[in-house]
Amino acid sequence: MIKKNRYIGRTYPIQDAVTKACGEQIYAGDMKSPRMLYAKILFSTVAHAHIRSIDTSKAEKLEGVVKIFTHANSPAKKFNSYHFFAGQELKEDERLFTDKVRFVGDRVAGIVAETEVVAEKALKLIEIEYDELPVAVSTTQALHDDGECIHEGGNLIDTKELNVGQATEIIAKSFLKFKDTISTQKVHHGAMEPHVCFVRYEMPDEMSIYTPCQSAFAVRNVVAQFLGMNYCSLRVVKTTMGGSFGGKQHVILELIAAFLAKETRSDIRLCYSRTDSILSTITGTAMEMEMESAVDENGKIFATQVNAIVDAGSYLANSVDLSIAAGKKLFRTYDIPNLSYKAKTVYTNTPTAGGFRGWGAPQITTGFELHVENMARKLGMDSISFRLKNLVKPYDEERLGRFSLGNARIRECLTLGAEAFNWSEKKKKSGKKGRYARGAGLACGGHVNGFYGKIQDCSSMILKMNEDGSFILNTGSHDQGCGTVRSFMQIVAEVLDVDIDMVKVLEADTQRSPYDTGTFASRVTYVSGKCAYNVSLKLRDQILETAAKYFNRPKTYMAIKGGRVYLKGDPENQIGFGRLAALSQSVYENEIIALETYSNVSNPGAYAAHFAEVEVDTQTGLVRVVDYLASHDVGKAINRGMVEAQIQGGVQMGIGYALTEEIKTDAAGNPKSTNFSSYHLINAPDMPDVKTLILEFGGDDGPFGAKSVGELAIVPVIAAVMNAVNDALGTHLCHAPLTPEKIIAAIH
Amino acid sequence: MKLNFVVNTKKYNLDINPALRLLDVLRDHLNMTGTKEGCGEGECGACTVIMNGKAVNSCLVMASQINGKEIQTIEGLRKNGEMDLLQEKFVEHGAIQCGFCTSGMIMSSKALLTENPSPDDEAIKQGIEGNLCRCSGYVQILNAVKDASSAK
Repeated sequence: MIKKNRYIGRTYPIQDAVTKACGEQIYAGDMKSPRMLYAKILFSTVAHAHIRSIDTSKAEKLEGVVKIFTHANSPAKKFNSYHFFAGQELKEDERLFTDKVRFVGDRVAGIVAETEVVAEKALKLIEIEYDELPVAVSTTQALHDDGECIHEGGNLIDTKELNVGQATEIIAKSFLKFKDTISTQKVHHGAMEPHVCFVRYEMPDEMSIYTPCQSAFAVRNVVAQFLGMNYCSLRVVKTTMGGSFGGKQHVILELIAAFLAKETRSDIRLCYSRTDSILSTITGTAMEMEMESAVDENGKIFATQVNAIVDAGSYLANSVDLSIAAGKKLFRTYDIPNLSYKAKTVYTNTPTAGGFRGWGAPQITTGFELHVENMARKLGMDSISFRLKNLVKPYDEERLGRFSLGNARIRECLTLGAEAFNWSEKKKKSGKKGRYARGAGLACGGHVNGFYGKIQDCSSMILKMNEDGSFILNTGSHDQGCGTVRSFMQIVAEVLDVDIDMVKVLEADTQRSPYDTGTFASRVTYVSGKCAYNVSLKLRDQILETAAKYFNRPKTYMAIKGGRVYLKGDPENQIGFGRLAALSQSVYENEIIALETYSNVSNPGAYAAHFAEVEVDTQTGLVRVVDYLASHDVGKAINRGMVEAQIQGGVQMGIGYALTEEIKTDAAGNPKSTNFSSYHLINAPDMPDVKTLILEFGGDDGPFGAKSVGELAIVPVIAAVMNAVNDALGTHLCHAPLTPEKIIAAIH
Repeated sequence: MKLNFVVNTKKYNLDINPALRLLDVLRDHLNMTGTKEGCGEGECGACTVIMNGKAVNSCLVMASQINGKEIQTIEGLRKNGEMDLLQEKFVEHGAIQCGFCTSGMIMSSKALLTENPSPDDEAIKQGIEGNLCRCSGYVQILNAVKDASSAK
């Protein structure tokens, strides 16, 4: 008999919904202390230059200015903001305050003042003379023989290759082959909470950093190593996350604020403006991709080769890692026997690229799904049957890493999604009627479940039972505002059969929590969630053992229900959890507490097929997405409503990515998108009613069979929307975003 | 500059730098941090409050403009410990994820429902068009506002 779940699969609001609804939830930007000072950063206004001189004397004379730091009085030591686990090898190329600026937005000086107003005034009094250098805003310019080196060693950072079979040779000999060039742009995460950090300095040399981060342990590692502090003396506390999407993954503000706190021996508040957050943190990565495939007469793709260029921007961060990650993600969704991927990573004088929802997958998927659509069109095959000839099947082996893709249900996503979207009817309506053109597009996408097969991927948790029968789960996890804590509450409550309100879940605090690898690679539900599941099982066992002593019977005679242990066959003979915990302490002199460290054991694919219907105004070039359906292979939905909300949020971000969002610079490197008036997010009137189809086939190692969803939700969107626009106009537009200018140019 | 104004039915008479923004007055002088700053130029709506019955971006209102005005913030919606119906519906419909847009979103919706107690879907979308949410696709928010209106 299959036991019906009490908590798993139901819909719950995020655990702090009430305090958020009342405006009482405290975010890092709301924190204050009596001796707090304000920090402001001066950013460069030119894209590439040596600083000839920097004069802070006028600013220093301003009343209320405490201290100003530049390259002249700060460490020359370098760091990499992506350093997130011990032993990670990464080139370090970034200074706290630079002596050579590499993009508009580079950090030049840090001001500490008694008020924010004074700090802002002081910014304007710093005088800088630059010796300007030639600027490369594109990878082509940067790779040109005459290109000025942005860092020592040249602008080509690295070239990485991934190969299965003999793609290049096979394509060279093939007759039926297709080639496309696709590009995706630099984008902003657009979390509503700008980047912010609060540091409390404690004598003699301890610090607490309060930050909305994705890995408190990464913050600790980078800051402690840079400042030469003991890990035990530096406390990093994850605060309520006002949205991240990868943007707050890198350690930037925390390091600067901690340095300023240490130097001034004061509490520091550092809050970036929206412009600073767009330009001077990290961006989603721009990629150029040339894709060529050979196909047999039945529509089977038997070889593909990809040449990609990754625009790292002005500092390395994780761009070489991304170039590999994007390539590996090619091998997850389609089964192509010969596949060759080559990627160059290049410095440019533009904002630094870094973590972003899907990390490489939105880019490579956009490229490949536009390529696939183009091939289908040229072969005269429909979008669905061409894909079905090439998509992976359940338990296929990923050809590069040779691990199982698990219960991969992309085929069901596609076929069931098409039916639910009424795809074939919508396709019949495609084409121009008067001023407006209608079109339908689809795209498939896959994503990971953790780091398994690449790097360490573990979580530790401690679960204890209190003397009233309530539970505290101590984790090193980070709720990003997408319901991680609530999911863990559901998992614990389900395993222990206890009221969900009797479970409290704690998030990362490096002095008090067990270790967790962090919020990366869609690992939280799949890996950390499994840790929550396992630690609950361990504690359940301890509860039964304690009850066995109380009842003086073997533990196999016991059962748990509704927060009580009873004797099987004699349900009246029972003891409540609270009384049992109290007895355990007072009589058996033992605490009911469990520790679990769980390391990921697999990396199945999570999949989605998305369907978009658009209407293009052929006079203005404006695109409206009028209908949308996202079909997802989630394994098992833990919190159903939150899964839907995550998917819809991914679609909103993806529609912006496809149509409006871009961090642009002019030829001199001056940014053209510096706030939400020039960087357009999709608002409520422009969003279609996004329908979701949630497919639950289970079968993999996540808790209750759950797989990842939040990152995947954006992966197919861009291509689905772009394919729909191309369907409407009969075009083959391949360079995101499809702005009105590009559309009008293509029509005429 | 001496300013007389009302926030959430409480009268204030404070000496405030008129160059500050209403957002700073609320957050820094009155310690009401429920109102958030997302962009500082009136494009995201996270700082929305209600001033004399109209939803405004508090980052675009200078302190000098609040003299004699009646302001309502997210902190003022809860009466006698009871949440406003809109707040209840935002929680119930899962319209809250990271929560950073929530205060502004609820205040815009409150102003909308005060003026138009039974808005249709298009009117709700127009009512919150100045409020950006990055976590959702606005679906749960629309459902929450609809459920709190008398049009449901």
